[in-house]
Amino acid sequence: MTAAQHPPVELGALDLGSGRPVRVQQLLPTRKSMDLGEVLARLSSAPVVAPFDSSRIEFVEEISRQLGRRGRGLPETQALAFWMRKSELSRLAQSFLELGSEQTFLMPRGTVFHIPPANVDTLFVYSWVLSTLVGNRNIVRLSSRVTDQSNLIIDTIAEVMADHPEVAGSSTMITYGHDDAITSTISASCDVRVIWGGDATVNQLRSIPIPAHASELVFADRFSMAAIDTATYSSLTSQKRDRLAALFFSDAYWFDQLGCSSARLLLWVGANNPRACATDFYDRVHEVARIKGYAVDTSAAIAKLAQAYGTMIDADVASYSAQDNTLAVLEMASFPDVRGEFCGAGLFYQLHVADLTEIVSDIRRADQTLATFGIPETDLKELVTNLRGRGIDRIVPFGQALQFSRFWDGYDLLSELTRKTTIAVKDVLG
Amino acid sequence: MSSTADSAPDFDSRNTVKSPALTELFSRPQFSIPQSEKERLLLGELTEMISMHRSACEPYRRITDVVGNPSQTYDSLTQLPYLPVALFKTHQLSSVPAEHVFKVMTSSGTTGQAVSRVILDRNTADLQSRALSTVIARVFGNHRSPMIIIDTPNVVKDRKMFSARGAGVLGMLPFGRRHFYALNDEMELDIPALREFVDRYSGQPILLFGFTFMVWKYFLQALTKSNVTVDLSQGILIHSGGWKKLADEAVGNSQFKTALREATGLLRVHNFYGMVEQVGSVFLEGDDGLLYPPNFADVIIRDPHTWAPAPNGTPGVVEVLSVLPRSYPGHVLLTEDLGVVHGVGDSAEGWAGKQLEILGRVPRSELRGCSDTHAFGTAPR
Repeated sequence: MTAAQHPPVELGALDLGSGRPVRVQQLLPTRKSMDLGEVLARLSSAPVVAPFDSSRIEFVEEISRQLGRRGRGLPETQALAFWMRKSELSRLAQSFLELGSEQTFLMPRGTVFHIPPANVDTLFVYSWVLSTLVGNRNIVRLSSRVTDQSNLIIDTIAEVMADHPEVAGSSTMITYGHDDAITSTISASCDVRVIWGGDATVNQLRSIPIPAHASELVFADRFSMAAIDTATYSSLTSQKRDRLAALFFSDAYWFDQLGCSSARLLLWVGANNPRACATDFYDRVHEVARIKGYAVDTSAAIAKLAQAYGTMIDADVASYSAQDNTLAVLEMASFPDVRGEFCGAGLFYQLHVADLTEIVSDIRRADQTLATFGIPETDLKELVTNLRGRGIDRIVPFGQALQFSRFWDGYDLLSELTRKTTIAVKDVLG
Repeated sequence: MSSTADSAPDFDSRNTVKSPALTELFSRPQFSIPQSEKERLLLGELTEMISMHRSACEPYRRITDVVGNPSQTYDSLTQLPYLPVALFKTHQLSSVPAEHVFKVMTSSGTTGQAVSRVILDRNTADLQSRALSTVIARVFGNHRSPMIIIDTPNVVKDRKMFSARGAGVLGMLPFGRRHFYALNDEMELDIPALREFVDRYSGQPILLFGFTFMVWKYFLQALTKSNVTVDLSQGILIHSGGWKKLADEAVGNSQFKTALREATGLLRVHNFYGMVEQVGSVFLEGDDGLLYPPNFADVIIRDPHTWAPAPNGTPGVVEVLSVLPRSYPGHVLLTEDLGVVHGVGDSAEGWAGKQLEILGRVPRSELRGCSDTHAFGTAPR
């Protein structure tokens, strides 16, 4: 007898089929246990509103203000608040308008079902905010593994929602166990489904149908890297090198190096003493980690060691160095295919290349962010042109790897979360 | 091993070991070699094993090319390159050609978790059983005494139940005779039969084996509840399996032993510590309640921040060394257990070697990141 004969998911399906109520834990607009049917009925009765309606802009502005105030000492929450601050929202609204025209009307898509990742504390807010701004109804499925930081954000949103009943009526965040039947029911009533997660999760969720007219945005496992020009680095003052190290630290360590956009591979470009540059840089990053009190617990430290040793088997490792658990470097003899399962917590692959064009043939679809320092824009444009869209969705300066944008993984979220209605008028008989 | 002769298993006639150091480690009484002498013997043997595994196991060579000394010579056991034990879950590590593989052992991972795969040839499997036999003999003696198995007979009969637990029980059977299984399928203790067995062999040693948690939960607690006195003052108990479940009930080793003594008069209680990646070189609990490595093994505690060796008395991650693994590079392993070495035992008292206390598993961390949505993929389907 195998476990497959007793799947809890099918029990869930029976419950739904028999009309018995299925309970989910609602987190927003208020925390309470609810029947799924009730949650969906309330949501579907809420109207959608025009994109960038002032009510929604004010709502998001207020969340930004509150988070900025309450999230002191929480850099990820601060970054979130900063990303949706008032001036940024105006810029966003302005650029959104440019997607339309006199004859092209931008309209909400309807109901958006968001399935964000379990363990990036703030990510669930980003796609929900963009979707809220463009006027959609939203249902977000959160992991039951909610962190203190996520709870702080949820509580803040709840308070702001209390003053914005219209938004509260068209948004809900819930949590439930591993239950494909519930996911199916919600999926059947959505117009867009947004999935974030590992490849296995994405594949499993994709097997659950959405309505024929609905669309799906998928953010799967990604791999990111950083590139530093050795000549530029060599010419930096010590103070500037420290600043660069601090920027790199926030890119890499905020989410224990497990954010998709955090660099795992560091490319040293050019012939200007790459090894000396690297050593100097890692010493400084290590010092930033020490000052910031970054700590790696024993389980993560063992996982890093196992990942490093596994890489020695699977790829061409030239050397391994670790000052202590916060920063370990594997110097590679060739571009490594080390995408996939990753330990995080400060393990870097390092490669020296004479020129960025060297890596073109090694780039894969999974490659997402390239954070760069000192590489001329013309070289980056040449790289992107040569890649022809095979991989690398964004090239950003150091310090901005984790900065969320409406353009993500090759999508423009503002465009994907709206539909375009066109009007052509012509006197056809004239 | 199925012979009914009342003597401990004897493997010497099938000695396949060629190394003089290994022969010495086997032939001298277990737990008798002073620490410094043992370190010298182990260093020589393990250094040779490093070069043997390097030429026989490509993945091991690739790793030691990076983390080993370039000359592959070493001045102390602490310098030897170690492998994180998790590598046996992610990679196949074998030092023998496929046609020599005798058995692949797997760890008893919980559902959905990756399991360790340990490749054995006949030589290593033989070394392991010989080693286990000499270690257990240190406590159970060479005379095969009547034996109580604190488990259900089905653990070795029922194919569906066959597991690490079954393998553990099977491995202990040869050390005793007239085996009595004390539990039924419902994990209930058969007290009248237990009394009868103990009375029949009163005045002579009685061996007992069971898993730590089952000894506590189904044997000791049942006896205590029943108010029936069973005299096990002539008994010798070996138990293994870890303290995790008992730690949840806040039961430690000394409480465990006190409770057994008070309920049954059982004085000789020995825990053991071992792992599927180093079968045979089990650490055995001495009279002082601490674990001792047998002749062919040693332990080093490492600081989890720097991986440098930790001084005595300082807890850290347990590294185990053993000269038994010949068919796979498991001779120096960094485990996922926490422990502390309190000092070095006295060979005059019969317990030489480092005094190890196991503090439990390294707690699992929950790192952040965006690749794990909600472990949807691990839901049973």
